[in-house]
Amino acid sequence: MTPAYPSTLGESIPITVRQQVQELYAHHHGWLFSLLRRRLDCAADAADLAQDAFMRLLVRPREFDSDSGARAYLGAVAKGLCIDLWRRRDIERAWLEALAAHPQAVEPSLEHRAMILETLWQVDSLLRKLPANVADAFILSRISGLTYGEIAIELKVSERMVKKYMARAMFQFVLMEAGLEAAAL
Amino acid sequence: MRLRLYDERYRQMSSTKQAACDHASLQQAAQWYAQLHAEDVTEQERSDWQRWLQQHPRHLAAWQHIETVASRFDCLRAESEHADVAGTLRSVRQRQISRRDTLKGLALLGCFGVSSLIVGREMALPAQIAARTVDYRTARGEVRDFQLPDGSHVWLNTASSINSAYTHTLRQLQLLAGEILIDTAPDSLRPFEVATGQGVLRALGTRFTVRENQEQIFIAVFDGAVEVRAASGDSRIINAGQQTTFNARHIQSPEPADPAREAWSQGLLLANDISLSVLVSELERYRHCHISLAPEVADLRVMGAYPLDDLDLALDMLAATVPVSVRHTLPWWISIDPRP
Repeated sequence: MTPAYPSTLGESIPITVRQQVQELYAHHHGWLFSLLRRRLDCAADAADLAQDAFMRLLVRPREFDSDSGARAYLGAVAKGLCIDLWRRRDIERAWLEALAAHPQAVEPSLEHRAMILETLWQVDSLLRKLPANVADAFILSRISGLTYGEIAIELKVSERMVKKYMARAMFQFVLMEAGLEAAAL
Repeated sequence: MRLRLYDERYRQMSSTKQAACDHASLQQAAQWYAQLHAEDVTEQERSDWQRWLQQHPRHLAAWQHIETVASRFDCLRAESEHADVAGTLRSVRQRQISRRDTLKGLALLGCFGVSSLIVGREMALPAQIAARTVDYRTARGEVRDFQLPDGSHVWLNTASSINSAYTHTLRQLQLLAGEILIDTAPDSLRPFEVATGQGVLRALGTRFTVRENQEQIFIAVFDGAVEVRAASGDSRIINAGQQTTFNARHIQSPEPADPAREAWSQGLLLANDISLSVLVSELERYRHCHISLAPEVADLRVMGAYPLDDLDLALDMLAATVPVSVRHTLPWWISIDPRP
């Protein structure tokens, strides 16, 4: 059994890493797939996420000194992937509901819809790290177009505080953006 | 499409870092961003910002990150003209918060290992909701009713979902989320049960509501009786005219049932001397919105029958009966303040 690599990655992975992962795959893929299958109730999703988990090992190789060590890591990665999957589905469902509430004269293209969903995902990933009122301030400003004065009235804080919220939120966002590669795993 | 997304994500993961960026530059950049978007930003401040950008390549690098993040929000702002982006983001956040709480409740279950409950496996519950393998569900703001195969009737309140697991020996509903009202049909061969994340309810010829709210289940019985069996083994019979709250460990002593609790099945919220903050949190269940309530009016008492399918009307009625002003700042952001 070999994992199916996206061809663009194949060339950049050293052969030793590929062999290591192949071995881990042979030993642990079946177990991981069953774990995910139980968690997700869907074989196709379980297969995709199991694949994802091994992909990560190709990109960020790790040494394990025991089977239980490898499984502990893979299990943790799988849990994170499940949470991400559910979050993606939440976003998709909420967006489709929002679209349904405002029928369009012209249907957006599938490409556009995919782009919006991806942007919603990225923005949600940023916003969820913030306390509710800081996130609200940023959304009210940058998406709903309110002035800081108007936001101050809504959140019942001073305008100075709103400006601080904006700076704090943006700082959090760019920290994540700049350290993106580290944060992704 | 799927493979292309893989490629993109993994390319991002494995690409080399851009020009090094330090904490201080990023923090300054964020402050500049906040300053530049203030209504009272001056020309002087704008040129100060330009000077700061030129001061050091690290500043420029930091600003690149700002631009990347800002462009995502700008994109969604443009899309806001077509649909409610802000509301979507808020409701996703809410769902995640309640899922986290549900998972905590499930983990609690794991300790007691009660197999008769719907969760034999950790995380099956949210997975079913997310994967849409749900037999009956309502969207936010929807109230629907269904006839079950045995003639029993079930009403689903806003944002609720259930599975039905009828067998030859047992009629079971699984409450995955939200609130239901049940009117059971008699069946001499099969008992009727509702399984929840905290325990199992067995109906003894009855009409009752069940509502899950994070780690608590609320039950009100209007006819007949219901036996509550919490995951811990604690059990109790709740009779007609009684209501109670329970979790996996403990069932509270019943108190008199409030008949208003089933009014939602008729599309009404019957407020019987409840506080405004309770009314508002109930109304919020039926629409994607945030109702910002001023603390000075939160404890005002409210009476009346409020329509659940017309929030605007409900708010008009509210403004007519208690001394508040209701402002629709945005379609999804409503402010309630003392009337000036």
